[in-house]
Formats: sequence, structure tokens, C-alpha cells
Amino acid sequence: MNAIAVEKVVLAFIGAVTFFIVVLLVFILGIMFVKGLPAFHAGFLFEESRDFGHSGGIFYQAVGTLILMATAVLWSLPVALGSVLFQTEYLSRSGKFKNFLTQLTYILNATPTILFGLVGYLFFGVYLDKGVSWVTGSLILAVMILPTLQVSFREAVEALPEKYREAGMALGFSRLSQIRRIILPQCFYGMVTGVLLGLARAAGETAAIMFTATTFSGIQWPQSFSDPVPTLQTHILVLAQEAANPESIAQAWGAGLVLLGLVFILTLTAWAFRTRMVMESEQ
Amino acid sequence: MKVALENDFRRGLSGTRNWDLVGWVFAVMNLIFLICAVGLGCFLLVESVPVVRSEGLGFWLGENWWVGETFGALPMICGSLIVTGLAVILVLPVALSGALFTSEYLLPSFRRRVKGVMELLAGVPGIIYGLLGVSFLTVGIKDVLNLLDGNTLFTAGCLLAIMILPTVLTLSEDALRSVPAEFHEAAEGLGLTKLQTAWRVVLPQSLPGIAGAILLGVGRAMGETIAVMLVVGSLDRVPGFNFFVSGQTIPSKLGREAAEALGSGLHWSALMGLGLTLFLVVAILTFCGNIFIRRSSQ
Repeated sequence: MNAIAVEKVVLAFIGAVTFFIVVLLVFILGIMFVKGLPAFHAGFLFEESRDFGHSGGIFYQAVGTLILMATAVLWSLPVALGSVLFQTEYLSRSGKFKNFLTQLTYILNATPTILFGLVGYLFFGVYLDKGVSWVTGSLILAVMILPTLQVSFREAVEALPEKYREAGMALGFSRLSQIRRIILPQCFYGMVTGVLLGLARAAGETAAIMFTATTFSGIQWPQSFSDPVPTLQTHILVLAQEAANPESIAQAWGAGLVLLGLVFILTLTAWAFRTRMVMESEQ
Repeated sequence: MKVALENDFRRGLSGTRNWDLVGWVFAVMNLIFLICAVGLGCFLLVESVPVVRSEGLGFWLGENWWVGETFGALPMICGSLIVTGLAVILVLPVALSGALFTSEYLLPSFRRRVKGVMELLAGVPGIIYGLLGVSFLTVGIKDVLNLLDGNTLFTAGCLLAIMILPTVLTLSEDALRSVPAEFHEAAEGLGLTKLQTAWRVVLPQSLPGIAGAILLGVGRAMGETIAVMLVVGSLDRVPGFNFFVSGQTIPSKLGREAAEALGSGLHWSALMGLGLTLFLVVAILTFCGNIFIRRSSQ
């Protein structure tokens, strides 16, 4: 066989594999719609679940996921913003300490999420005596999404052209007004990207909250910070474990489609903001 | 030492380091982040002391996990290694072929679209994969291989392979793309075909980046809890070389038993010991992966 024939065979092979990947992924998304849509009866999104989740809607679970992820970002945002501004504005560009902090961010980002659940429960739930509750879950998620926010924020701040800073310095800005007048406004879109990606990550997380923030049935609404929250993720988890029961698996597909939709919408919006950020910094 | 530390801080306008109040607030925020990250490791370490003291090395080598009597983590460690190994073996040829095709043969507009879809899919929650696994993969594997139970280590490996495919593909594609254009041009000038260029020039050049991509994928696969927990069968035993039996991984064990042990006793300490083992392995994998990737992008 000559080189050209080999070339053609290999090209056909890797082309076929790529095609197979695309088909597989389209299949996964397609299956979500095919299986999930039948669960959407009138008011699926706005009714409470009945019968241990086998019938009714997912209203409280959906709201629970939303409030849990929103509070997590609320805790995480000031810490992420402060630490990134400290690292970029107050530490020198290639110092050892900054390098160390960057590595720490990467390691925290890759840490298996169940470990946040374990350690977070021990610290917030047992030592601070918050138990299985909204506040425990949201604090755990806040630590978990911290690196996501940090990486986006840092990208945004470091993408800022040096001439902007120089202009500020030429005007005699103090470090504080440099941050307030130049860095924060210029990096706004990048920060929105980070927040949205953090929300998406918190919304998709199950392992860290399944024994720290939620109980399955019997609760509707957290009356206070120290009550458990129902969430879509754990709802799906419980229903998926009864996979033999067609009613429960149908409800699980419906809830899964809602969750996937939420994550995709957040991610795509984040990307829209990121494109905007890149466009601004290239001007 | 003092000089080295001083070099770490940026100087203000007048050459001094006069920090304003806001600077201190930021420093406190940074401290909180530092405490979160370091505290995670320290907590795991401190909390797993009781079990290591009572079991010694037997904690990692023991085969029996009987709550209240003895804690041996070998079944979980073997399970994690097998499942992750299977996932890597399954994903590697597929992801590399896909990455090669995407970076070398696809038009730029197509390439961007493929990358976008891959990155979107990398964010799909684990619970969704778990649901797909429970509904299709377990049933499919049970029927095709004629097993009694579809919840096997092999099922978990397949599911993880699908889960980490987007991550590995998109990162290895980045590595392939980072090979400078001059290398392509030089290879073309020598009369090499596209495939020869890819095989002889691009692949060797981007090997560190690909290794990094694989390590990060392995890290993600090793830590995945929910999807694995739903399909692995959750049976504590050392599986040997038969992958078509139920097993247990470290995260799935943690997910199953954390709610029972909650917060106290030797059982909890044993779970923390498992967590520490997992944390160390994943941290090392990630650290090495990032080093490889950084080297390839330079």
C-alpha cells in the first residue's frame, strides 16, 4: 500500500470516529428531549410534587435549586473578587506567592466535589452546628465555585490592556481609584461571565449537597436559613434510583431536562458576555 | 528571605507599599480563600488520623469494610483504579482521533462549532449522565453481554469515558493547535503529506499537552460521584480482573455512606481517610497535568 492509500484510510477512520462522537452527543441531547418532554404537562413547572415525586410537578425543587445557587454565588462573589484584585493589583506579576495561589486555585478546581460535601458538612454542619440546611449547602457550594469565579475574574483583569492602567497612573490615580474607575468598569463583562459560569456549576452539582443541604420529601420551602432545601438534582437522584418504576423515571427525565436547560442557558449567556469582553479589550 | 518576600508585592506610585484600607480588605478575602483551600486538606488529614491509628497500613491494604469492626479500603481503591483505567483506555483512541480530525482537517468555522459543543457538554451535570446510564447503559450492557446485573465496573467505565470525552478532546485539540505554523510549513516544504506531518511532527510536539489533557480527564473521572454511584453496583469487594461484576469506587462509597456516618466516630474517620486518599491522588494528577499543559502552550 502506498502512502496516499494509507492517508486515505486513516483519514476515513478518524473522520468516522469524529462523526461517531458527534452522533453520540446529538443522541444524548436528543434523548433528553424525547424522554423529558412527555413529563411536561400543564403546570409541571408550577405544581408541587406529590406521591413521593411520582406525580405532580417540580416547583419547589426548581425554586430550591435557584435559591441555593444564588446564595452560593452571593457568598462566593466578594471573596473571589477581593482575592483576585489582591493577587493582580497588590502582588507582583510573577512572584512565588502569586504562583502558589494560582496552583491552589487549580487544585481546588479539580478537587472531587464530594470532598467539599464531606469537609463542609463537618465544618459548617457539625462544628458550626448548622446541620443539614440551606446555609450549610450554600456555603459548601460557595467554596466549590470559588475557583470558577476566580479564574474568570483573573482572565478578565489580565486581559485589560496595559495602556488603560498607564492612563490611570498618568492621571495620578491612587490604587483605589484605579480599581474603582478603571478595572471594575472595564472588566464588568468578564465578571458577569464568571458569575454565570459559577451559577451553572452550582446548579449542576449533586454530590456536594445531597447529604448536606437537602432532604427528599415532606418539605416545601425553607422557612429559614437553617432548614433543608429541596433541589432538582437530589430529586432526580432519588427518582433515578427507582429506575424500574416507569412513573418515577418519567418524572426524573422531566426534571433532568429542566436542569440541563438551566445549565445550558447560564453557560451560553456567560459565553455571550465573554465574547463581548474580548471585543472590548481588542478595541 | 526578606528580600524574596518583598519582591512578591507590587509597589505603589511613590515606590512605597502604603496599603489603603481596601488593600487590607482584599488581603482578608485572599486569606479566606487560602484558608478554604488549605483547610480542606488539613481537615481531611486531621480527621483521618483516628482510622489510620487504629488500622495502620491495613487501612489501605485491608479487604474488608465492616462498619464497627474493621475498615479496609482496598476494594474501593481497586474499583477506582479499574473504572478510571477503563475510562481512559476507552476514551483515548476516540478523543485523539477526534482531536486530530478537528484540528488538522476541519475548516476553522466548523472547528469553532465543534469546540463550542464540546465545552458546553463538558458542563453537563453528572446527575444527567447518571440518569442516562441507569436508563440505557446498564440495560444495554446487561442484554448485550448476557449478565445478571448491568451495574458493573465496566458500565461505570463506559459512562465515565463518555463524560470525560469532551474535556479530553477539547484540551488535546488545544495542544495540537499550539504547534507553531512554521513546523507545518517546514514539513510541507519537505514534501510530507498531511498525515505524515500530523504523525511525525504535530503529535510528538504536542505530546506534553496531550498528556496534560489526559491527566486532567483522569482527575475528573476519578472524582466523579453521582454518575458512578448510580451504575457501579456498590458492592465492596476486590474485583480481581473480572470487570463485569459489581464494585465500588472511593467517591461512590463516600456518597453511599456519608449520610449514615455523619460527623462522628471511627466510621466517619474511615470515610475521611478515603477522602484524603482520593484528594491526594487527584491533586497530584492535576498538578502534573497543569505543568504539562503549561509547557505545551509556551
